[in-house]
Amino acid sequence: MKKNAFALAAAGTLAFAVQCALAQDKPKPPPAWHQGKPPAMADSKLAPLAGKMTETPASEIPIDKIKLPPGFTAEIWASGLPGGRAMALSDSGKKVWVGTRIIGRVYEISDEGGKRSVRVLVDKLTQPAGVAFKNGSLYVFAIDKVLRFDGIEGNPNAAPVDMTKAFDLPPEQHHNWKYVRFGPDGKLYVPFGAPCNICVPPTNEYAQIRRYNADGSGKEVIATGVRNTVGFDFHPKTGQLWFTDHGRDWMGNKTPDDELNRVDKPGNNYGFPYCHANGVVDPDVAKGRSKADACKGVTMPVLNMGAHAAVMGLEFYTGSMFPKEYQGAMFIARKGSWNREDKIGFDVVTVRASTDGKGAKMTPFMTGFLEDAKTAKFWGRPAYLAQMKDGSLLVSDEQLGAIYRVSYSAPAGGKKK
Amino acid sequence: MPSRIAGRWAAGLTAFLLIGSADVLAEKRAEPCAKCHGKDGISVKEGVPSLAGQPKVFLENYLVLTREGLRGSDEMRTLLRGMRDPDIVALANHYSRLAPRSLPGLLDKALYERGRRIAVTHHCGTCHVKDFSGQQQMPRLAGQREDFLAEAMLAYRQNRRPGGDTVMAASLHGIPESDLKALAHYLSRLK
Repeated sequence: MKKNAFALAAAGTLAFAVQCALAQDKPKPPPAWHQGKPPAMADSKLAPLAGKMTETPASEIPIDKIKLPPGFTAEIWASGLPGGRAMALSDSGKKVWVGTRIIGRVYEISDEGGKRSVRVLVDKLTQPAGVAFKNGSLYVFAIDKVLRFDGIEGNPNAAPVDMTKAFDLPPEQHHNWKYVRFGPDGKLYVPFGAPCNICVPPTNEYAQIRRYNADGSGKEVIATGVRNTVGFDFHPKTGQLWFTDHGRDWMGNKTPDDELNRVDKPGNNYGFPYCHANGVVDPDVAKGRSKADACKGVTMPVLNMGAHAAVMGLEFYTGSMFPKEYQGAMFIARKGSWNREDKIGFDVVTVRASTDGKGAKMTPFMTGFLEDAKTAKFWGRPAYLAQMKDGSLLVSDEQLGAIYRVSYSAPAGGKKK
Repeated sequence: MPSRIAGRWAAGLTAFLLIGSADVLAEKRAEPCAKCHGKDGISVKEGVPSLAGQPKVFLENYLVLTREGLRGSDEMRTLLRGMRDPDIVALANHYSRLAPRSLPGLLDKALYERGRRIAVTHHCGTCHVKDFSGQQQMPRLAGQREDFLAEAMLAYRQNRRPGGDTVMAASLHGIPESDLKALAHYLSRLK
């Protein structure tokens, strides 16, 4: 291992030159988002919905438009966090860190006595979407960088430790922004999306979920065939990983569904790129193949979550504030579709299922963000959820850069079920 | 009755003054930009994009990303350092309302036709709209400077243009530089 630095640099340059030459001679198949767009949809005007990267003052957030079941109320808990999405809570619950994608920031919210202040903890990163907190340290995952802030709760000036090398991140960027979370096994779970809409991934580093020890050692692929998961949680009783997954685009308005999946054992294959949703054979990369063939050995989803709905954060509810029927239920945010004419999602749903994933049922919970499905008129896009110490639920709105707090008190005259 | 009419007049006048003063402020803010982007938002410098008629959201995003230090030249980052969101929105508003136009230049028919076909094959008009006038977060390409377009697309393809979505890098993956040049020529000649 003790080569001199020059030899290493020279070898690196040579390898790079060879790679470039190869790339020029024979370009890889384009992992383009529109790959797989059929001729019938060539004139489609569907395009990803625009985000908003400027601050939205709380006074301009139409919180009253949110609809919830009786007894639940939503309030604006924090605002002025453009692009804010996944949240990590400190152990005390007094700090919440919020990741973003293109604006490149991680926010820190300090909650002191009902008043909250927001600061930018770190910026200039390439889509630092993944945030997780464990044993006093905050982990930040950008597409190409991993940072760890030790003792950040007590020391606001903690300098980050660069952990990038230990996590072995692959080079392609598309669908490789992260959602990260620590499991009950103390391991850090990290997804690696397919770098395309539909393709056979260029290497075996993509379309999978891995877990690592907190220091990046012990890498293990625990699920394959996963197109783009950006939300998961661990079942409060079994400890098993349940994850949401985005289905491919450009197959029409009705198919394929986004998925809710369960990992009952490491090593399951969830179908990408050949078999989508509940057994939809891919018309591009599995053209002409039967379902029995394309979906052989594939673990089917617990539930279809709606075509192009953009299923995001998933949180098993274990608090005591909400009525009994919510105990152990999943809250799942659906950020809302772009790749279909009649928009769906833009909501938070509850899903209830048995521990083995049977009998899963989805119920709307938090709605009102989508005002007209036909014209794509919406004002907010719920993205992630976090359960607070008191059992209330934080919901991030990536569109308006705000966090709402959902709480429950039994309606007057009624009693808590 | 007369008082109601007077009331309407007053309201109208106030609205006029408010809009008028916002315009003046935005123009004032845009003064340092004019040196390169032109007073009317039409580029006057090699490699610098025209801004006139760009979608407002695109301009906002670009300005924010540059302020954040993720995009743009050193000069742009210096100009925008510390600029507050309302000023960014005002600037974006200002340029989005100016009339776009292409720069005078020679038309290479063969190159134009090649570029047109590449744009069709790669579905560029899905997001950037059929006439390439852009929409929302997707920029107007029609009439943009050819040198700017060619360099921007190459930079996307080589992952040298971070900060935006990864969609453009993925969309241009594997397209040879000569094809990107044809695309740039075609788009720059559109009205």
